[in-house]
Amino acid sequence: MKKSKLGLLVVIAMSSLFLFAEEPSGLNVIETVYTRATAKDQSSNLTMALINKRGDSRVRKIKQFLKDYGNNEKKIMFFVSPSDVKNTSFMNISYSDASKSDDQWIYLPALKKIKRISSESSSDSFMGSDFTYDDLGDRHPNEDTHSILRTETFRDEECYVVESIAKDEEEIYSRTITWIIKDKWIGLKKEFYDEDDDLLKILSNDQYQKIKKYWVIINSTMKNVQSGHRTEMKLENIKLDQGISDRQFSERMMKRGI
Amino acid sequence: MRKNRIVGFVCLLSIISISFATPELSGYYRNYVGGFIGKGQSYSIIQNALNLNIQTSSSKYAIKVNPYIYSYDDKVMEMGVREAYVDLYFDTIDLRIGKQQIIWGKGDGVFITDVISPKNLSEFLLPDFEEIRTGVTAIKFDYYLDDNTFELVGIPAFTATVMPDSSSPWYLSPSFPITPSYDYSKKAVPVNFANGELFAKYSGLSSIMDYEIMWGSMWDDDPTMHVDKTTSGSQVTSIVVIPKHHRLNLLGGSVSSEFKGYVLRGESAYYTGKYFSSNDPTLPEGVIQKNYIHSLMGVDGTLFGLTMSTQFISKMILNYDSQIVNDEVENTVTFMVRKDLWRETLHLEFFAYIGLNKSDALIRPKVSYDLVDGVKVIAGANLFVGSSGSFGNYDSNDMVYTKVQVSF
Repeated sequence: MKKSKLGLLVVIAMSSLFLFAEEPSGLNVIETVYTRATAKDQSSNLTMALINKRGDSRVRKIKQFLKDYGNNEKKIMFFVSPSDVKNTSFMNISYSDASKSDDQWIYLPALKKIKRISSESSSDSFMGSDFTYDDLGDRHPNEDTHSILRTETFRDEECYVVESIAKDEEEIYSRTITWIIKDKWIGLKKEFYDEDDDLLKILSNDQYQKIKKYWVIINSTMKNVQSGHRTEMKLENIKLDQGISDRQFSERMMKRGI
Repeated sequence: MRKNRIVGFVCLLSIISISFATPELSGYYRNYVGGFIGKGQSYSIIQNALNLNIQTSSSKYAIKVNPYIYSYDDKVMEMGVREAYVDLYFDTIDLRIGKQQIIWGKGDGVFITDVISPKNLSEFLLPDFEEIRTGVTAIKFDYYLDDNTFELVGIPAFTATVMPDSSSPWYLSPSFPITPSYDYSKKAVPVNFANGELFAKYSGLSSIMDYEIMWGSMWDDDPTMHVDKTTSGSQVTSIVVIPKHHRLNLLGGSVSSEFKGYVLRGESAYYTGKYFSSNDPTLPEGVIQKNYIHSLMGVDGTLFGLTMSTQFISKMILNYDSQIVNDEVENTVTFMVRKDLWRETLHLEFFAYIGLNKSDALIRPKVSYDLVDGVKVIAGANLFVGSSGSFGNYDSNDMVYTKVQVSF
């Protein structure tokens, strides 16, 4: 889902926090995270290590570009490795309107054409990793009912612990619990529970840093506690607010590659 | 001839290597062994393939060369260049000059508006689509306007479909009452400016739908078999088959859009100038010119955790004459279902072409496993059903195969 940059939503969220300064609601906290200031555009190199319970690792590398247009967000990804998917590209347009599905296209170099694909498979694994397509996007606050379970110190950070229960019973996660750093408004840890309410996965944001004026998560690990498999995700060569051209998000660039 | 090609190939590689300090090299090696289920358990193919992509690029240009080598147990080695082109990038214009594969249309495995690159059918429709398409030497001009693209393709020299040779199990001998002789004198299309091919396309991607509108003036990639019969009374005493390529014009388009989680696709083209074989004895060379419409509708989506895709394809001859050998309307269905397992390392796939007119089919189950990244083991079968029709004609060619592919 698109991370909204609508000023109104920011005002509402911040006002709510002000009004409920001592004890904001779960929705207030999640809305503040959702509307947290992020860069207008970003480019980075993404490395994913897929590690099974025996410790065997498979590595995927992607070059990605992202641009926020206010009411929509465009992302284009170029697959660098493994070799059999090299030069494949993927473009996604997500919308701040939660009722509107993402538009997605994939360019397959062997077929030499761009195919529109359905965004309804957002609960599928992303490149065989422990992340789903949904996990990698920003989930709209209206899709869940949020409540603060407690506040606690976690990894030396003061955190809100927020439970989010999916409104749609068809969702693959029945609920999530997120540890959100109070003064940075980024998630430090997130637990995902399956349809039977058993703990399925734990996302740990292991390293984050301030680049320009934005908090950016650099390293994270998603571990499937039921299978023992985990995926380590690392962002490198992060560039923010570089003024990426609109043309970067086009059929032309999907075919041309990086 | 072969020696010249090898020398040319090596020279080309050398130029690329010398001219650019760090060309990027990728590709694959593949071993492919196929055996017929009938026919005394004989092999249908034993092939070792090397496919290389050598490319270099900057913000202003790119160069790509895609040589390949096929080595066989029972025939001479094949070596060639699938693509060799230079891209020049300008502000809103790209130019691609050289040998290239050009793929248009929204159909999968169907050639309706996807007619620029001719096909290599020496192993029918069984190779990967990248290998079925033949590169053409062309100049391609792309003009970009926001999310829309105008493309113009000029092909100075015609390239025909590559058909299986007469010793191949994929060769279909024409049916005549007596053994014909062949006159190939009119098959070649002389290379000159008037015999070039020209294509244009306007396309766009948008939130509502993707679309393409295209036009082409081209040569029919498949020759029409003109027949010169000599008779004595009612008895045919000699038949001379004269293959000829004819010029076709086409106007077509395609669309795709998402609706409730499913991608709907459509593609259609109107062809003029096509010659069809006819049984009408009054026709001097046994052929008649008719226009036709070739169309498809398709839907892709996920159902019960399975990736599915199906297409309905229809080819309709307009102003039909009952003596024409082809049916007035020929309908085909394709169906694909796929499941990825074990973190996308095990892939199960079932694909079928089904001919509705002759009740024939090509059924292609396949299992693919990624042993490690870049190393893939594939096992599958190609099963032909029916006794006539495009697929039923190969009823005795049912085969199983294995492939091992190492990408680098």
